Amino acid sequence: MNVMEDTELKEMWKEYDQRIEQAKVLNLQAWAVNLQTIEYLQAHKAKTKLGSLASFKIWMVVFGMLWVVVLGVLLYGNQGKNIYFTVSVAMLMIFTLLANAVYIWHIVLIRQVNFSESIITMQEKLSELQASTINIVRILWLQMPFYTTWFWNSKWIRDAGLNFWLTAVPITLLFCLLSIWLYRNISYKNVNKKWFRILFRGKDWDSVISAIHYLDEIEEFKNR
Amino acid sequence: MHTQQERDDFLKLLSENQGIIIKICNSFYKTKSDREDLAQEIIYHLWKGGRGYNPDFRFSTWMYRVALNVAISSYRKEKKLKDTILFSDKPPEMEDKIFSPQLSEENSNLLQQHIAELKELDKALIILYFEEKSYKEIAEIIGISETNVATKVSRIKERLKQNIVNAKK
Repeated sequence: MNVMEDTELKEMWKEYDQRIEQAKVLNLQAWAVNLQTIEYLQAHKAKTKLGSLASFKIWMVVFGMLWVVVLGVLLYGNQGKNIYFTVSVAMLMIFTLLANAVYIWHIVLIRQVNFSESIITMQEKLSELQASTINIVRILWLQMPFYTTWFWNSKWIRDAGLNFWLTAVPITLLFCLLSIWLYRNISYKNVNKKWFRILFRGKDWDSVISAIHYLDEIEEFKNR
Repeated sequence: MHTQQERDDFLKLLSENQGIIIKICNSFYKTKSDREDLAQEIIYHLWKGGRGYNPDFRFSTWMYRVALNVAISSYRKEKKLKDTILFSDKPPEMEDKIFSPQLSEENSNLLQQHIAELKELDKALIILYFEEKSYKEIAEIIGISETNVATKVSRIKERLKQNIVNAKK
């Protein structure tokens, strides 16, 4: 047998279809009994499936808000005495709030997931939600230079003299360049690059990377 | 809360369309427990989402969308947790007459094996084709153009035929 006709394929499916029909495997009564159990079991399971993505993001918002409170207390305690500390902490607060806003937006989107949308739309939305964790990481990287400046103060800069310009400033500049480079390069298109895989390796990132690959697969499916 | 009438109507529709759910479950999972879990999940989403059914679409379009979306999402999630072993030469380890009604026929098995090996979206597309949905309805369910559906169906059929012929050699 070297060539196969379309009709043969359809016959194979029909044969399979008939077997299912003949089996009369389920009846109304059985479902009537089971429906309540299914409802109970799945209501709990749903919380652990799609809900697990939401709960991860909710926890991140909680941690983010706690961090903002801590930074706020520090800022209040400083009372603007040290301009470097004030600006650095204020910037850290802004970036954390930005990341939190994105997380909250994601939670809203997860709540709106609708399984009756077309398969491509629904799968794209779900994968985008998972993959977009990367975008939050991009934003968070931008705050890195401010972790190298919060302890600066005018007296220290004056006393350190050349050492300040040869050590503290280059380190901060390096962090600036690194964070800007990462912000520009952490994107779906670089997912297969070695540095990307090193940066985002581990079990927690696997589902994010897989979602990015799936988005490519969906795009290919739409256009191929 | 759903009324008794809603429950009865739902059970009637479910009974009429049970074959669809079983075929989708069989195409995505190998073991009885995985298939049962998926069937439950599909039924739950159909029941829960019933009120969101948009009468602009045919009931079967809505049902296929929900069932396939649940199946693909569940399959992708499970795939991350464990490497799902697709159909091998061995029969499924836990046969059950509900989900694998005496699939002793070589042809049916072969077709099922090769459908199971397709990517999720291709699998959804070819199931709809075999269920004799029109290209228009397939396009509505999947969310791509009718032309794209025709091209893909043709390619997937060729791949299936080739794989089946090779397997029979």
